[in-house]
Amino acid sequence: MIEMFEEWYKSRHDYANQWKDKTGGKVMGFFCTYVPEEILLAANVLPVRILGSHEPQNVTEPHIFGMYCPFCRDCLAQGLLGRYDYLDGMMIAQSCLHIRQAFTSWKKHMPPEFTYYLPMPHQVQSPRSIPFLRSELETFKSAVEQRVGKQITDADLDRGIELMNASRQAMRDLYDTRKASNPPMTGLEAMYAAVSNQWIDKAEHTAVVRDVIQKELPGRDLGLEGKTRLMILGSEDDDTAFVNMVEGCGSVIVTDDHCTGSRYFWNQVEPEEDRLLAIAKRYINRPACPTKDWPQRTRLDHVRMLAKQWDVAGAIIIQQKFCDPHELDIPEQRKSLDGIGVPTLFLELDVTVPVGQFKIRVEAFLEMLAEDDLF
Amino acid sequence: MAEEYWRWTESRWTNPDIDWKKGDIITGGVDVGSVSSQAVVFVDGQLYCYGNTRTGSNSPDSAHKAMGLAMEDTGMSLDDLQYTVGTGYGRVNVPFGTRAITEIACHARGANFMYGPTVKTVLDMGGQDCKAIHCDPRGKVTNFLMNDKCAAGTGRGMEVFADLLQVPITQIGELSLQVEKEPPPVSSTCVVFAKSEASSLLREGWPKEKVIAAYCSAMAHRVVTLLERIGVEEDFAITGGIAKNVGVVGRIEKELGITALKPKIDTQIAGAVGAALFGDALVKKERKKG
Repeated sequence: MIEMFEEWYKSRHDYANQWKDKTGGKVMGFFCTYVPEEILLAANVLPVRILGSHEPQNVTEPHIFGMYCPFCRDCLAQGLLGRYDYLDGMMIAQSCLHIRQAFTSWKKHMPPEFTYYLPMPHQVQSPRSIPFLRSELETFKSAVEQRVGKQITDADLDRGIELMNASRQAMRDLYDTRKASNPPMTGLEAMYAAVSNQWIDKAEHTAVVRDVIQKELPGRDLGLEGKTRLMILGSEDDDTAFVNMVEGCGSVIVTDDHCTGSRYFWNQVEPEEDRLLAIAKRYINRPACPTKDWPQRTRLDHVRMLAKQWDVAGAIIIQQKFCDPHELDIPEQRKSLDGIGVPTLFLELDVTVPVGQFKIRVEAFLEMLAEDDLF
Repeated sequence: MAEEYWRWTESRWTNPDIDWKKGDIITGGVDVGSVSSQAVVFVDGQLYCYGNTRTGSNSPDSAHKAMGLAMEDTGMSLDDLQYTVGTGYGRVNVPFGTRAITEIACHARGANFMYGPTVKTVLDMGGQDCKAIHCDPRGKVTNFLMNDKCAAGTGRGMEVFADLLQVPITQIGELSLQVEKEPPPVSSTCVVFAKSEASSLLREGWPKEKVIAAYCSAMAHRVVTLLERIGVEEDFAITGGIAKNVGVVGRIEKELGITALKPKIDTQIAGAVGAALFGDALVKKERKKG
C-alpha cells in the first residue's frame, strides 16, 4: 500500500495521461505551492505540480541564466523535453524570480491553451494582503470559469476546499506517526507520499494515506528506533536519491520544512461564508516561503516547533544552488536551531546529488551528533 | 622519463622504544585519501609505526601498500591487528578494516593526539579537499566545514603547479618566500584557471618564485575564507600534506594573525592516527562489555 506513493512518484506523467483519458478533464501544471488548488478542483481540473527529473540536461542554457537555481532549470527542461505535453494549462503564483523565469520561458516557447500568472503578494504580513489576494482569486476564478466554460459555484468551492483540507489533514496525521521513537515509515517513504500528493487526484491520494495510517503503519517495525533523528529544511527538495543517501548513513528523517513537504499541507482553509476570503487567508497565513517571510521571520518559530515536536537531534539545511531567498534565511535558521541545541549541516543541492561529497559530510555530521561511542 | 616535480617522498617510521610483542591492544588506522594513503599501528595507545604512500587507482591495494610499508621490518602482520579503522575517501574499501569512520572525525582525534588537548581548531589540507574542524579537548568534532565541489587550494592543485613551474613540490614553500615584495594572489583559485593565469604571468616575465608566491597566497586566502566561516579558536593546528608547505602555512598564519602549533610528526598521518586511536577506544569498549 505504502509503495503506491513511490509508484506515483515515478509514473507521474503516465498517471496524468490516464487521468485525462479516464475523466476527460483538464490538467493544469503549476509552479509554486501558493497556487490555490481549491479553485482548480472546484472546476474539476487536476492540478499537477511541475517538478524536475534530477537528470543532467543541456536544453535550458539558451533560455535561462546559469546562475538561476538548478530547480527552475530542471523544471523548464521538462517542458522543453516535452514531458508535460499533456498539460491543458500552466500557471504560477508569484514566489521567486527564478521559477518565474522558468514559467515565462515555458509560456514563450511551449504555450499550452491556457496560462495564468497569479500575483500572490509578497508582503503577506501586511493587513492589506488578504483583501488583495481575495480580489486576485476572484479574477483567477473568472479566468478558470471562462476556460472551462462553466461557472464555479459556492458548492463547487466547498468541494475544492473539502478535498484540499481532507488531504492536508491526512498528511498531517501521516507526519504525526513519525513522532514515534520508532517511526513506522522512513523519510524516503514520507517524501514519496508528500511529493506525489502534488499531482495525484486528491481524493485518491487521501484514501491511500488514510489506508496506510489505519492498516499498514500500526505495528510496523522498520528498526528505526535509536537511529539519529533528523529534519530537513530549506529550498524545494524532492530529491529521493539525497534522502536515501542520508538515511543510508544511519539516520531517519522524521520531518521537514520544504514547500515540497510539510509547508504544502500544513494549514487548512477555515470555512467561512466568503469562500474566496477563506482561501485567501489560508495562503496568506500558511508557513511562509522565505520570499515572503518579512519583515518578521515567522519561519524561525515554526521550524523550532517542528524540531521540538518531532524530537530531532540535528537538521540538514538544504539550499538549491543560487536560491537567494533561502540563502538569506539560512544564517538565521542555523542560529535559531543552535539556540535550542539542534546542530545543523548546510548542503548545497544541484540537479544531481554529488553522493560522494555529500556522504562524507552527512556521515561526519552523524558522528558529531552521536553519543560518545568513539571515546 | 620526464622528471616528476609533483612527486613527494614516500616514507615510513618505527618507534624504536616500543616492543610491540609486549603490547596488549594493537590497532591499525588506514587513511586512503584521494592523493596519498597512510597506515599507522598503535600499541597500547602509543604510535608504533607508520607508512605514507601514494594512493593508486585501487583503494584496497593502496590500503595494503600503506600498511605493508608501515609494518616493513617490524615482524608484524595484519593478523596482529585487533581492530583496524579505515578512513578517507577509500574508507569503506580497506579489506582488513573493522569499521569505517570519516576523516573529519579522525583528523580531529589525530590532531588531538599529535598536538595535545588544547587544540580547538584543526585545518586539514588534504589532497583534494580542505576541512575546517572545531573539536573539544578529547578531539571530538563539535562543528566542521568542507570546501565545496572544487579541488583548488588543495594538494592536487599544488602538484599541478610543481609540474608547471618545474619546481620539486617539497621546495615550493621555501621558494615562495624568496620574494622581496608579496605579489597579488592569482585571481582565480580554480586549479585549471590558475594554471592558465600562471602561464600568462610566466610569459610576462615573472620569475618562478613570484608566481609560486602568488599561488600560495591565493591558496592561503581561500582556506582562510573557509576558516572564517566557521571561526578560528586557538589553539590552531594544520594537518595534511599542505601543512608541510611553509609558504602556504606562513601566509595563513599572517592572514589570520594566529600562529599554528608546530608539528612534531608527519602531518599527513593525522587521519590514520585518529583512526587507530578510535580502534583502541573501541577495543576497550568491547572488552568492557565482556
